Amino acid sequence: MGTNDGISPEFSRGEKDVPDPSLGIPADAAEDVIISIDHITKVFSNHQTVTAVSDVSFNVRRGEIFGLLGPNGAGKSTLIRILTTLMKPTSGTAHVGSFRIIEDDEKVRGIIGVCPQNSTLDLELTAYDNLDFYGRLLDVDEDLLDKRIWELLGMAGLSDRAYATAGTFSGGMRRKLEIVRAFLHHPLILFLDEPTIGLDPDARREVWRQISLLNTEQTTIILTTHYMDEAEKLCDRIAFMDRGRLITLDTPENLKKAMPGGDLLEIGIDGPAGPALPLLQRYTSINRVEVKDSLLVISSNQGNSVLPQILNDLESLSMRVTSISIRSPSLEDVFIYLTGKGLEESVPGEIRAKGGH
Amino acid sequence: MLRGAVAIFRRDFKKFLSTPFVLFMTLFFPLMYLIVFGNAIGGSITGIPLGVVQEDPYVNTTQIFDSGVAALQDFHQSDKPAQFRVILFTSEESARRALTGGEIMGYVVFPSDVSPGRDVRLYVDSSEYTIPALIQSGVAAVLARTGGGHRLYVDNIYGTIDYLPFFGVGVIVMAIFMTTMMGGGIALIRDREMGIIEGYLVTPVKRSSIILGMIGSGTLRAFLAGFIIFIVDILVAGVVIRTTGNFLLVLLVLFMTSIGVTSIVIALSSRFTTQQEYASSVAFLNLLLFMTSGAFYPIIGMPYWLRWITVINPEAYAIHALRSIILRGQGIGVIGGDLIALAVFSAGAIILGIVTYRRSLE
Repeated sequence: MGTNDGISPEFSRGEKDVPDPSLGIPADAAEDVIISIDHITKVFSNHQTVTAVSDVSFNVRRGEIFGLLGPNGAGKSTLIRILTTLMKPTSGTAHVGSFRIIEDDEKVRGIIGVCPQNSTLDLELTAYDNLDFYGRLLDVDEDLLDKRIWELLGMAGLSDRAYATAGTFSGGMRRKLEIVRAFLHHPLILFLDEPTIGLDPDARREVWRQISLLNTEQTTIILTTHYMDEAEKLCDRIAFMDRGRLITLDTPENLKKAMPGGDLLEIGIDGPAGPALPLLQRYTSINRVEVKDSLLVISSNQGNSVLPQILNDLESLSMRVTSISIRSPSLEDVFIYLTGKGLEESVPGEIRAKGGH
Repeated sequence: MLRGAVAIFRRDFKKFLSTPFVLFMTLFFPLMYLIVFGNAIGGSITGIPLGVVQEDPYVNTTQIFDSGVAALQDFHQSDKPAQFRVILFTSEESARRALTGGEIMGYVVFPSDVSPGRDVRLYVDSSEYTIPALIQSGVAAVLARTGGGHRLYVDNIYGTIDYLPFFGVGVIVMAIFMTTMMGGGIALIRDREMGIIEGYLVTPVKRSSIILGMIGSGTLRAFLAGFIIFIVDILVAGVVIRTTGNFLLVLLVLFMTSIGVTSIVIALSSRFTTQQEYASSVAFLNLLLFMTSGAFYPIIGMPYWLRWITVINPEAYAIHALRSIILRGQGIGVIGGDLIALAVFSAGAIILGIVTYRRSLE
């Protein structure tokens, strides 16, 4: 929660800029791109005009777990529905695999697996029949289908419930069944829209385990979530969305580093802490230092590596350390920082203003 | 307690007002019921096609023939058009062919000069409802007026048919429609409402596959329902099937009817998003198609504008075909046209269903 709040900067430098959302990935990784989204906008105009997705562009790399993060109504599901050909964008386009989502929608559907946000299981069918039905829709080879179904039922831990109707399953079991169903045909890309919504912690961990398992087969996974811990745990890279816009995109580590202040170190000293300031200014990785009587409050991008050096310095000054605490900013901190205030203004400007330029 | 009741009342009423389509249908439905039902049933039957022929050996028209034809042509109820549309035949055989082919509803045979004092014979298609009685009373009245002391001999060519087997044939078609309406259509909309459809729209399955699959399963269900009612008709309603060929022909007609009705219901329901809209529309369609099908009452008794609906009504063809086989023992020659009409109708509905089916969520 707002680690920079209440800390008056004594000095400030070397703050890492928030990555430019439009770049998405470095140019040298371009051949690994499996999804490229090009200025997609989606406007709904039923009773009132709502811009659900607003000029979003980014790329997803082959084999990664990509997280789309944002609060409810951020436009994540709409974007997923556009990429899975359930909706057409108002403007812009995207490539999934090598296919265009509008013109080659049928080919796109052939290489993706989708697990929508709301359950689409047929609750009157058994677990086996649900998979069997989709196996045929997905054109899985007749000879391999039965074996594949049992393999997936095993993966979901549902082998002993194969012939029970899906209606008798718990929320977690249904979810797992639905996720493996999307994986029947070994899709190149797996879309999971809020895979753990409404599940208890145990069931969530089970689903996470399953997602990691699926990812080992070089399947690219795109998941949307509004659980920060989920994104942090699973995702190689994360895109923040809010009110239809892409706010930022990077690895969880970089996103946290992008947070002005970075890690927060609090070092208690037996005596006044002021004399330590000149020494601490040497470190480029330290953004801010605040002295509160005998307490040093240090913000650093690399808290873990800089802490031992600081301790050495303090020792050389014969300052006795009485307490140490180190806290990393959570993704939630980053998200609140990026979207929290003045979002009505233009977003990149807002980020720069916050970044202290 | 009252507060809760009022809350539920308000909620229900708000929802009622917020669905203009259903609101419209609830008012439109009884009005159409009045118009369609009121006109389709109990209308005065006029212009019945009636053949007239003189007995062999044919030399010259007799006086009784001439005056009989004139009187039949002129015969009408007060303020109504002519009761009969009189068609002259030159031989009994050709008149017989026209009667069994369904072109005329009956024919009158006047005796020739050579054999005076013989009966006037009347042959009637007894498979239709009320029409045989109208013909018989009309011809009897004409004979009484023209005199000559000839007695009237009446031959119901298909025997005496009660209303039960007559109506039983209509119920077969109704069973097909009801099964389709409750089964295929509602199931499709429930899938949409429950979001099940969103799941398989993202698979590579084709729009045509979805429609054909649904029409296939719906057709089989409808066919089984029609078949069961057909068996019940045989066991309970006294319907008689004379040959194996006719039995198979009935199955063919049931199958074609099932495809036609299922296709149109699936085509319609793929456009609806809520069960309410669907139910009110299809209930209306059921009324319109069933009432104008001739299941209850002869099509000839309907006003002209309503008869146009029967031309595009697959149930009318189905009922005509089934009556031809079951009640009259006729074969492919008579029902061929009905089968072609059903096939054309089914093909049109399937294409409509595939073209209008929304492959996306919008």
